Amino acid sequence: MHIQDGVLSPVVCAATGAISLGAVGYSVHRLKQSVGDRTIPLTGMMAALVFAGQMVNFPIGAPVSGHLLGGVLAATVVGPWAGCVAMTLVLFVQWALFSDGGLFALGANVLHMAVIGSWGGHAVRLFVQRFIGDSRKGIVVGSVVAAWASVMAAAALFCLEFRLSWPPSEIDFSKVFTLMVSFHSLIGLGEALITGVAISFVLNQRPELISGSRRLSRGSSVETITRTLVAGLVIALTIAAFLSPFASNDADGLEAVLAMLNIDLNFTGSVPGLLEDYDKVPVPFAAWQSIAVSFAGIGGTLAVFVLAWLLGKALPAAPPSLSEAAGE
Amino acid sequence: MTDSKVTPASVAVRVERLSFRYPGGPDVLTDISFTIAPGEIIGLVGPSGAGKSTLLQHLNGLLPSKLSDTSTNVISIDGVPVSQPTISEVRRRVGFLFQDPDDQLFCPTVFEDVAFGPLNLGLTNDDARQRVCDSLASVGLAGYEPRSTLRLSLGERKRVCLAGVFACQPSVLALDEPFSSLDPRARRTLIGILKQFSGSQIIATHDLDVVVDLCHRVLLLDGGQLRAAGPTADILGNAALMERHGLEVPWRLRR
Amino acid sequence: MCHRWPPFAKLFAAIAMILAATCVPITHGPLVGIVACVIFFAHTLARIPLAYVGRRLLFFWPTLFLMAISLPLSQAGQKGWLLFVTILVRGTLSFSTALWLVNVMPFDQLLATLRRLRVPDVLLAILSLMYRFLFVLWDELDRMRIARSARLFRKPSLWETWRSAAHLVGRLLIRALDRADRIHGAMLSRGWDGRSRWIEQLREDRP
Repeated sequence: MHIQDGVLSPVVCAATGAISLGAVGYSVHRLKQSVGDRTIPLTGMMAALVFAGQMVNFPIGAPVSGHLLGGVLAATVVGPWAGCVAMTLVLFVQWALFSDGGLFALGANVLHMAVIGSWGGHAVRLFVQRFIGDSRKGIVVGSVVAAWASVMAAAALFCLEFRLSWPPSEIDFSKVFTLMVSFHSLIGLGEALITGVAISFVLNQRPELISGSRRLSRGSSVETITRTLVAGLVIALTIAAFLSPFASNDADGLEAVLAMLNIDLNFTGSVPGLLEDYDKVPVPFAAWQSIAVSFAGIGGTLAVFVLAWLLGKALPAAPPSLSEAAGE
Repeated sequence: MTDSKVTPASVAVRVERLSFRYPGGPDVLTDISFTIAPGEIIGLVGPSGAGKSTLLQHLNGLLPSKLSDTSTNVISIDGVPVSQPTISEVRRRVGFLFQDPDDQLFCPTVFEDVAFGPLNLGLTNDDARQRVCDSLASVGLAGYEPRSTLRLSLGERKRVCLAGVFACQPSVLALDEPFSSLDPRARRTLIGILKQFSGSQIIATHDLDVVVDLCHRVLLLDGGQLRAAGPTADILGNAALMERHGLEVPWRLRR
Repeated sequence: MCHRWPPFAKLFAAIAMILAATCVPITHGPLVGIVACVIFFAHTLARIPLAYVGRRLLFFWPTLFLMAISLPLSQAGQKGWLLFVTILVRGTLSFSTALWLVNVMPFDQLLATLRRLRVPDVLLAILSLMYRFLFVLWDELDRMRIARSARLFRKPSLWETWRSAAHLVGRLLIRALDRADRIHGAMLSRGWDGRSRWIEQLREDRP
């Protein structure tokens, strides 16, 4: 997931850096004024936890293994502002200690994993919770969907940045997109599963630790509008991630779907490559692409919703008593 | 000190009818009263889950999590009631040593960690530096300032924690399991340091041999209630009483 | 000898080298060569063993390769390969520079530098706490892992592995949050009122 220096062009790095700087700056601002003096140790520990949690490997196939990214997990436990700050610091320390991810690409990495992960994940979770309710089931299902959507949105955004980094006339980006998106729908599935199981585990053992984030869901109307916008953006990016592979085969289909969903992605203007005609390209990928498309699009979505449903169902109805948790 | 006029100077810690429960839970502490004289060392013993840590955390206002603004006079330290307006004064007077030194050493270097308290007390940088130097020397760790808190042995970490507490110059020490998992030498060193401290101490511990060695009096806590209080040898030497509360008479008091 | 440079010099040297590495056009061979030589020279100055750099690069290349290979694979012709090489060269050079910085700049020095660069106190306070407890959590994680594998008598299924790994994360999360509470208590006990004056001016003032 970590983008290294040299992959994106300096201009794109500068732009994503500026956006991230603004977003993280705003998070720090909100963090300062939001809660009492407990915020600092809590956020610090959350950052350390995400860092350590990323060391837990999840086997996928023989040599390949996935790991937690943690944006949605952090936002669910400590709220979007502290979550965003924690994730940013995780990425910074990964660069400073292990030179994971580039310095100039730090802006892009922060945008993908901290801002989309925490802000976007939080917004999507609350969006889902609006339909299921603020129950524990709602939190788990919401965070599963949010975790998956945040990874897909990050992948779509990466594709866009990648596309803007290199001269468009020389590259066929549709294949790059297909590769990235189908790869990330796997990563996203892992992220959704880990986030969901971890959160439902905490909800089972110590529900009071997560209830804090529920209070945050009641905000001013400005807050609600902003959140809806963020959720919309993340969902739009997720859909874009789905649809990008289709673009190569059926340009009209994409436009039709966009029109049907009534979503203006603004992609048509800035990324003509998405809607171009790709017949002329010789492909080692032709057959593979359709498999990838069907997996990323249909299989991924199905899997996430089945997962969300199972995890939501697995929760017991009655919360465990608080007294066990209190202890000495 | 104006406060000493309010209550007799012979009382460093006064606890009167303290009860506590976590919201929605059973009682953790029930109707506990005791006093500690200046310079007195108290051993707080009892089985696990007796409420020892909870009691200690009341002494510097970490519990209950919402202190009332009005002083109810349940607990007072040097005559200062533990309440919201006096909380910083109380915390200056009560030094707290946590069980796990990692919870207390939260700065990257020894110097920063020991200086944390003095700086919060509003000392100038020079004074703070002097305090760091002195308190590290008093725990036998002079020159440890630039060391990283990550690369210290458990005994050293406990002593750095204690230096951080000493740097605030408290009149009362509250120690939660200070001897747990220490090797004999580190344990000896720590006992030596505690013996030199001039203020009052209340030590919650399972290490009854240390209690015999160090403490003037013992409070026996079980099930959130104060079951017995008195001179160390009387309480810890009472086999029936000890048996009843899941404890054993320490070797040095056996006949 | 770079180790004793002033921290600012190290940081800006690293930024300048990464900037050069990512901006020089790949077709200007000599220029790329000069940048590579400068970075190599910096490594020799700092006495960073080549074997170490090599080992880190071995782990680094595959990820960069995966990202870069998507370009030529989807293209016909040379353009894709050119971009592929561009990404590989730039990535390798800037990664080596970052390695150099990591080795000549200890983390607390980096913290002090950030403090002078007027990074907000809150952020630095959180950062130093995170750095401090990172290793504590790692140890805890290791112990939990060992305890888990000690009770594992057969090869678990994929689902079981995933579930137990996620539970590991959940358990670690609970422990971390509890610890955050205790740390908060310890900070309050030493007179903390939410303002991070503890982060100010300590290192600079130290004799």
